Amino acid sequence: MAAKVSVSPTSLLNQIVVPGDVVLDLSNMNNQTIKLGSGLLQDNDAISAMGAGKLSYSKPNKYWLESSHKRYIPRPDDHVLGIVVDSRADNFWVDIKGPQLALLPVLAFEGGTRRNIPKFEVGTLLYLRVVKTNIGMNPELSCTEASGKAALFGPLRDGFMFETSTGLSRMLLNSPTRPVIEALGKKLSFEIAVGLNGRVWVNATAPRIVIIVANAIMNSESLSGTQQRIMVEKLLAIISD
Amino acid sequence: MEIDREDGRTPNQLRPLACSRNILHRPHGSASWSQGDTKVLAAVYGPKAGTKKNENAEKACFEVIWKPKSGQIGKVEKEYEMILKRTIQSICVLTVNPNTTTSVIIQVVHDDGSLLPCAINAACAALVDAGIPMKHLAVAICCCLAENGYLVLDPNKLEEKKMTAFAYLVFPNTTLSVLPEGSSVAEGEPVEHGIITSITHGVMSVDDYFLCVENGRAATASLSAFFRKNFQQSSSKAG
Repeated sequence: MAAKVSVSPTSLLNQIVVPGDVVLDLSNMNNQTIKLGSGLLQDNDAISAMGAGKLSYSKPNKYWLESSHKRYIPRPDDHVLGIVVDSRADNFWVDIKGPQLALLPVLAFEGGTRRNIPKFEVGTLLYLRVVKTNIGMNPELSCTEASGKAALFGPLRDGFMFETSTGLSRMLLNSPTRPVIEALGKKLSFEIAVGLNGRVWVNATAPRIVIIVANAIMNSESLSGTQQRIMVEKLLAIISD
Repeated sequence: MEIDREDGRTPNQLRPLACSRNILHRPHGSASWSQGDTKVLAAVYGPKAGTKKNENAEKACFEVIWKPKSGQIGKVEKEYEMILKRTIQSICVLTVNPNTTTSVIIQVVHDDGSLLPCAINAACAALVDAGIPMKHLAVAICCCLAENGYLVLDPNKLEEKKMTAFAYLVFPNTTLSVLPEGSSVAEGEPVEHGIITSITHGVMSVDDYFLCVENGRAATASLSAFFRKNFQQSSSKAG
């Protein structure tokens, strides 16, 4: 899947690297624009890894370090689940499990004007989009798509929210659908929202369905596809007794 | 004439290493590191918003809390905290998350010699587990000098008591590189030839000190390889 980039005899693409490994040599690649994602640091002509993870590449020119942690580094256009911690005149302060609290402007809603500002209590769970992140500044969020429509963003009522690692939430949002969700969806009906910052919200009509779905997702992190299906079948067999 | 070590190791041989990461539920990164019977647990919380007073708000700030196995916290623990804080500050990239504080908590589970290097290795593994951006890893080793002038690596508590002098040395890890010349260069010398921290106790001559540094650096290759293998195993399991 990864294209071979002609950097040098040993290429570190798709391999696990540790901090300090020099992964790319820019002096060999002239006249190319490269996009560096998370986890890579540029030091003149050498790109080195800042953390431990898998070096990934996607055409035409994106490199990044894939790793899974309990904290989240905000990136623009990510969909996250945030919790309101404070409200001010023009911003809500929202916790998104990152290094800084994030700001949600009071007008960042579809059809939002000064007259119909939503009132969120402290502790409200919101499904949000990250608009911009700059070093040193608090990240900015929004409850609308880039075009201005609401599109499912906003407060999530009822249900149950639990925390996972960022790696698991990325796997849950990948296509094709993760086997655990597919297998659960065949027998149970529930609603689920996954934030890339490691938070997942589940809602269903009966509490035990919520509990089963939450436990199944939490346990599925290190299991392969068939193992996930077996685990789900066992859980469903228990509750149907 | 070879020196006889009680547990039958050669002078340059390290004790069995064991490292596990992500063992604690609450902290954002955690690791336990053991060299022989010395075992240390490290937990990392952060980065959290806000720095302490008198700290530069344009850089990330680190605080270290050292908890001994028993007894009250005294001057020795405060010294370890300061050494660890300086070491961590020099290996982490401080400009990525300005105005944040990261807390590192070290809990000593058992002390059987070479405690500070074990703690530095554990803190390093926990920082990687938490995803804190780092320039390179820190690999720490204890090197000591016996009365007859022989050098011994990674002593246990009994050996440490009998030595005339010992040195805790921290080096950057050996890195893989796609650069043709092998590794990144800082001021004309490869980064791997650098030294991050050096703490000495007792009296030793300058030549003996340099011999300690050489032997210690040679041993860091095996410690770096152990770190790397540990990360690769845990990453491939979680995938």
